[in-house]
Amino acid sequence: MNTPADTNYEKGRSLWQDAFSRLKKNPMALLGLAVLVIMVTLALLTPWIAPYSYEEQNLALGASPPSATHWLGTDVFGRDQLTRILYGSRISLMVGFVATSVALCIGVLWGIIAGYVGGRVDAVMMRFVDILYALPFTIFIILLTVVFGRSLLLLFLAIGAVEWLTMARIVRGQVMALKHQEFIEAAVAMGLPRWRIMLRHLAPNVIGPIIIYTTLTIPSVILLESFLSFLGLGIQPPQSSWGSLISYGVETMEEYPWLLIFPALTLSITLFALNFLGDGLRDALDPRISKD
Amino acid sequence: MLRIISQRLLVAIPVLFLVILVTFILIRLAPGGPFDEERAVPPQVLENLNKRYKLDDPLHVQFFDYLGNLLRGDFGPSFKYPSRTVTEVIYAGLPVTLELSCYALLVAMVFGIGAGVIAAMRPNTPQDYVPMSVAMVGICLPSFVLGPLLILAFGIGLEWLPVSGWGESPGDKILPSITLGAGYAAYVARLSRGGMLETLAQDYIRTARAKGLSEWRVVFGHALRGGLGPVVSYAGPAVAGLLSGSFVVESIFQIPGLGRFYLQGAFNRDYTMILGMTILFAFLIIVCNLLADIAQIWLNPRLRKNVSAGGRP
Repeated sequence: MNTPADTNYEKGRSLWQDAFSRLKKNPMALLGLAVLVIMVTLALLTPWIAPYSYEEQNLALGASPPSATHWLGTDVFGRDQLTRILYGSRISLMVGFVATSVALCIGVLWGIIAGYVGGRVDAVMMRFVDILYALPFTIFIILLTVVFGRSLLLLFLAIGAVEWLTMARIVRGQVMALKHQEFIEAAVAMGLPRWRIMLRHLAPNVIGPIIIYTTLTIPSVILLESFLSFLGLGIQPPQSSWGSLISYGVETMEEYPWLLIFPALTLSITLFALNFLGDGLRDALDPRISKD
Repeated sequence: MLRIISQRLLVAIPVLFLVILVTFILIRLAPGGPFDEERAVPPQVLENLNKRYKLDDPLHVQFFDYLGNLLRGDFGPSFKYPSRTVTEVIYAGLPVTLELSCYALLVAMVFGIGAGVIAAMRPNTPQDYVPMSVAMVGICLPSFVLGPLLILAFGIGLEWLPVSGWGESPGDKILPSITLGAGYAAYVARLSRGGMLETLAQDYIRTARAKGLSEWRVVFGHALRGGLGPVVSYAGPAVAGLLSGSFVVESIFQIPGLGRFYLQGAFNRDYTMILGMTILFAFLIIVCNLLADIAQIWLNPRLRKNVSAGGRP
């Protein structure tokens, strides 16, 4: 996901150890991290650990409340809800991570180029960001799904294309602050090409804010996907995400409240975990604090 | 001040034009014409339809026709329901959506600023933790979860409030407004806490305290104006979010607002309806951002000096 982070892990070791020791003092952030790791593991292992198969129906059973055989109950077709939530988390988390990566790539590149090149290029690029900021994006995504049909790929691209704006601003600000420091001047003096300076010297140094903001972007992407799926414009059956499960649960919430409560709980817990982790990372990695 | 406003306006107009152009082109790119039915329409009928809706003109002629009509407030006919125009639908739905958004904004500002200020007055004490924890819950409970839960609790369980409609029975506006506003209240609480903390640490606040003013007057008379900067700059995006968030709330509470018509249009592939409403939403959001910008400059005189066009902090 964060390729620059992986490749530069060794170089930035002291900073990371420093940050991690600070993160360890924040119980909520650690809890968030733990919940997230569990969620992702469960999602990855779903095909092997799900108690029932995804399509398995039991019409004779119908909608049943939680029981020993179906921990989280079943829906009106007698499908095991735990299984459906597990498969839904694969979709929701995948959208969260993939769309965030799209946003990450665009935003970081955009921000680094605008910040480093500066001048007129910077002005034009950031004015473009300002303009996009002013647009009704949720509505635009709905428009795109109408025009191009509802596909997972479009959803990734559309959400990613929306969420990169703030990332670009943050990265640009960081790069502006960094570009007059000695190590960049040294790189320029060595005659390195611009793209190499940007990717090898600037990018690793803006990793902190990027990680913080990425952690906070993932929940908003998951939320946006659920929002669209809730409206019936995101993930289409037979696939399901948390959003479509919740939307389905809302229809029958008076008779079968468990069909609403469990998917909603899963979504909220995940959002909680990501937000707490993001806040914790901000406290641990914020350059303004870590310079003290 | 006037110069700044006119500068912002000059930026807003090309943006709006761009939105209209892009939306228009996107809609024309859409696969399948608006008259594709289950069974094929006879070519003669299709030709007549195309002529009636002027779809056989060159694209740029169509675009400027449309633009001209827009300036006269005419959004054209609905492709799916020839009996009504997009303008009629907007007239019916817009007041409802705006009213809902206003109430939600009120909920967001009153509860958000209240909680944020209370928290900032005694940071890192229970007076800070409790409201901020509630705010965290608000951020993590999306409207499409909160709404149904409120319906289950207050509508179906306690039977205190009606669970659907808008202006039909007393109190039916309460739950939708809270549902839509809660998430934003949470953000506003966090923003105003941050802004207040920063402001309360400044010299002029120390001066105010040194004068012997009551804490109440220090906070509300002096600090609030500076501390609300982040909230004001968030207000523009918040209104944008409220307007699109109203889609979900309108569908949960069966409110006959714009969002419901927009979704209907999306499912029916009613192109003119979607086109018109996208433009309307873009217009509303651009106006709100403009107002937020102006409010921010009015609140913070330091911004008046070096304003480059369109630049927001």
